[in-house]
Amino acid sequence: MEEEIIEVKDLTKDYGEGKGIFDISFSVKKGETFGFVGTNGSGKTTTIRHIMGFLKSRSGIVKVLGMDAWNDSCEIKKFVEYIPGEIAFPDLRDGITFLKNQAELLGLKNMDKADYLIKRLQLDPSANLKRMSKGMKQKTAIVAALMADKDILILDEPSTGLDPLMRETFLNLILEEKKAGRTILMSSQMFDELELTCDRVALIFNGRIVDIADINSLKNSDVKYYKIEFTNNLDFEKFKKLKYDITRIQEKYNQVTIKILDKDINKLFKDLKKFEVKFISEVKHNLEKYFKEVLSKYKEGKNV
Amino acid sequence: MFSKALFKQTMKANWIKWVAVTVATCVMLAIVIIVLGNLGINDIRDSLKDVFTQADQEAYLKDNSVDLYELYLTTAETNDQMDTFSSVGSTFINNLVSDFDAALTNYETENGAEPNKSTIKQIAQEKVDAFIVQYGGMIEMFMPDVNVEDLKILLVNVLLAHNENADLTGKDLLMEGYYLTVYDNAYSVAVEEGKTEEEALSEAVEAKAQAKLMVVNLGEVGKQTDYKNYAKSYVNNSMYTMVHDSQIEEGATEDEAKQYAVSVKVISNTAISTYQLWLAEGETAEDAKIEATKSISDQIPEKVAVALEELGDMDMYGLIIGSIFYRIAGLLLPMVFVIMVANGLLAGQVDSGSMAYVLSTPTKRRSVTVTQMAYMLFALLSMFAIVTAVSVLSVWIVGGNNFAINFAEILLFNLGAFLTMFAFAGFCFMCSAIFNRTKYSLSIGGGLTIFMLVCTILGLFGSNVVPSAMRIDAMNFFNYLSIITFFDTTSILAGTLSYLWKFGILLGIGVITFIIGIFTFDKKDLPL
Repeated sequence: MEEEIIEVKDLTKDYGEGKGIFDISFSVKKGETFGFVGTNGSGKTTTIRHIMGFLKSRSGIVKVLGMDAWNDSCEIKKFVEYIPGEIAFPDLRDGITFLKNQAELLGLKNMDKADYLIKRLQLDPSANLKRMSKGMKQKTAIVAALMADKDILILDEPSTGLDPLMRETFLNLILEEKKAGRTILMSSQMFDELELTCDRVALIFNGRIVDIADINSLKNSDVKYYKIEFTNNLDFEKFKKLKYDITRIQEKYNQVTIKILDKDINKLFKDLKKFEVKFISEVKHNLEKYFKEVLSKYKEGKNV
Repeated sequence: MFSKALFKQTMKANWIKWVAVTVATCVMLAIVIIVLGNLGINDIRDSLKDVFTQADQEAYLKDNSVDLYELYLTTAETNDQMDTFSSVGSTFINNLVSDFDAALTNYETENGAEPNKSTIKQIAQEKVDAFIVQYGGMIEMFMPDVNVEDLKILLVNVLLAHNENADLTGKDLLMEGYYLTVYDNAYSVAVEEGKTEEEALSEAVEAKAQAKLMVVNLGEVGKQTDYKNYAKSYVNNSMYTMVHDSQIEEGATEDEAKQYAVSVKVISNTAISTYQLWLAEGETAEDAKIEATKSISDQIPEKVAVALEELGDMDMYGLIIGSIFYRIAGLLLPMVFVIMVANGLLAGQVDSGSMAYVLSTPTKRRSVTVTQMAYMLFALLSMFAIVTAVSVLSVWIVGGNNFAINFAEILLFNLGAFLTMFAFAGFCFMCSAIFNRTKYSLSIGGGLTIFMLVCTILGLFGSNVVPSAMRIDAMNFFNYLSIITFFDTTSILAGTLSYLWKFGILLGIGVITFIIGIFTFDKKDLPL
């Protein structure tokens, strides 16, 4: 588990006017699933293109399996499967022709995996490539990438265009790949799918990594959030004066949201006995919330 | 370095374009060659050429007629003068001759050798000069019309004639001197006109014979005050006889010979009448002759005449097949093919993103470019192999090597067109490799390619394959803007070798641009 499959250190590609990526550093260990999240144009794809050897870095190191991503690009590809962010196929007639041609380029003889993927994704590969819907194109791209059964998966927003059901199937496929021990680097704009599949997720904002969250520790965190509504305003005002870490106040509804460590939970219940509580519910603190918090702090700090 | 899978993919993507362009180009070419071969467009050229040959012949005939006419008049005049001279001055002439003989004998005893030709002429001149000084007054009295200088030349020739043939006396001797004068004149005129020694001699002999014939005719006519009409009809008739006889000799029927001879007689008559009219208007003999001997080509303005003559010399097949088909029309479709395919090989796939599927497999960028270049070369080579086969077949159908354009030339045309397309393919490929966007690759690669074709079209109107009547020299400037100019069809047709180094340049452009393209693509950032 400790072997570093992908290593990115101080990667910078400055396109001018504040655009580009700056000092990107992270590493992906063997068998790990690493996620990238960020708004459009934040630098996810640019980083991935460096790893794929399509772009040459201004400065910094990008290594895959210990090889330089630019110079040994071709050698690295023997171990990498890739779904590009933009789906555009070569000028070929239909899906089958494309997949066969792709297999030939990959030197792949056995098409069992491809058949399996086609069945799972309910894809009709005989359809004309030009007339495929966005979702069908995405499925075709997924099949083309995953059919080679290589050790490293690099997926640039792989779930775009898929309907919710198909997205679930796809995420299950990724989990299967993960279980098979493959190393996965995946970018997305959806927090939930990253939360479901990834071990760690990096937040990219304006070309910089703001934070890398460990999903496991996030899930098993001893910090909880509770939303409490009081029946009357008097109790509400009184509660506010107690020394709790209040993250949100909704005056209108007499609601507060507090952040509390598990060990302090009994103290809270004791205090609440004194008030008339309408309801209390735990607010799930997911990746999205976590990153929003991190980002707002980051923006304050940077004064953006 | 070469990816079979990618080559197959590129073939699949482009074969329809290839078939369409190849078939269309072959059909166009076959039609051009076969239709031209059967139409005989050079007929027009040949008839134009005939016009000018006829015009030249006409001018020659007219010139001859006027010369003969003048000779007749001079002969008639001289004949009359010599009649008078021989009857009135026979004693004086006999004295002159014996003086001359004495001088020669004298010279022989003094120098111990016979005098050579130039010495004889010198002695004759001395004696004639002395004679004129002595009897000048008397000559003027009896023959007021005679020109003394002409008489001197005549008398020198009389003495030379005597030296040749001592038996001649009286008028016969005088006329022999005249014939010698005619001979000398004809010779010196011919030499002045730039004719060879042999031609000049034969013309001189001819003139002398003509003068003798004229004297015979004058004997029939009798002494007249004005010989002009006799001279005209004599020349007309003798032209008629001469042409008629030579036609019969060449195997023409009597009717044909007659018809041709009459037409020549008409020309002769026209020339002499014109000559007479101009003289009557007070023109000098020289100017009158210029007017009288004008032919069709002299009557139209000089620029038009030159243009028509060039039109006659122009090789229509060379122009249409070489300069128009192989350099312009036939290049257009392969050019569209090259522009579209070259863009699609690299820039198009980078722009759309589909290149990612190739480059995410263990395929080097270098093998992508080398494979795509190989496809481009394969497509062009196979296309031109077929076009060449079709062109050779078409030429064979319309007559093989008897056709205006032979097999070697048509093969060189195909080679030149291929090399031109090779250069453009390299250039478009380079643009496709440099730019990530289709719009830039197409507008620079394709734009410049089409621009050059248009320049060649415009430049055609300034190039020397177009006759000067249609040529605008300033348009030739456009030829300097296009590499198609290195495809030198004129040199191929003319059989010079300058097309070879130009082919080398086209080859060089292609090789260099392909190499630049390959190396650029290796190093650039790809937005995939």
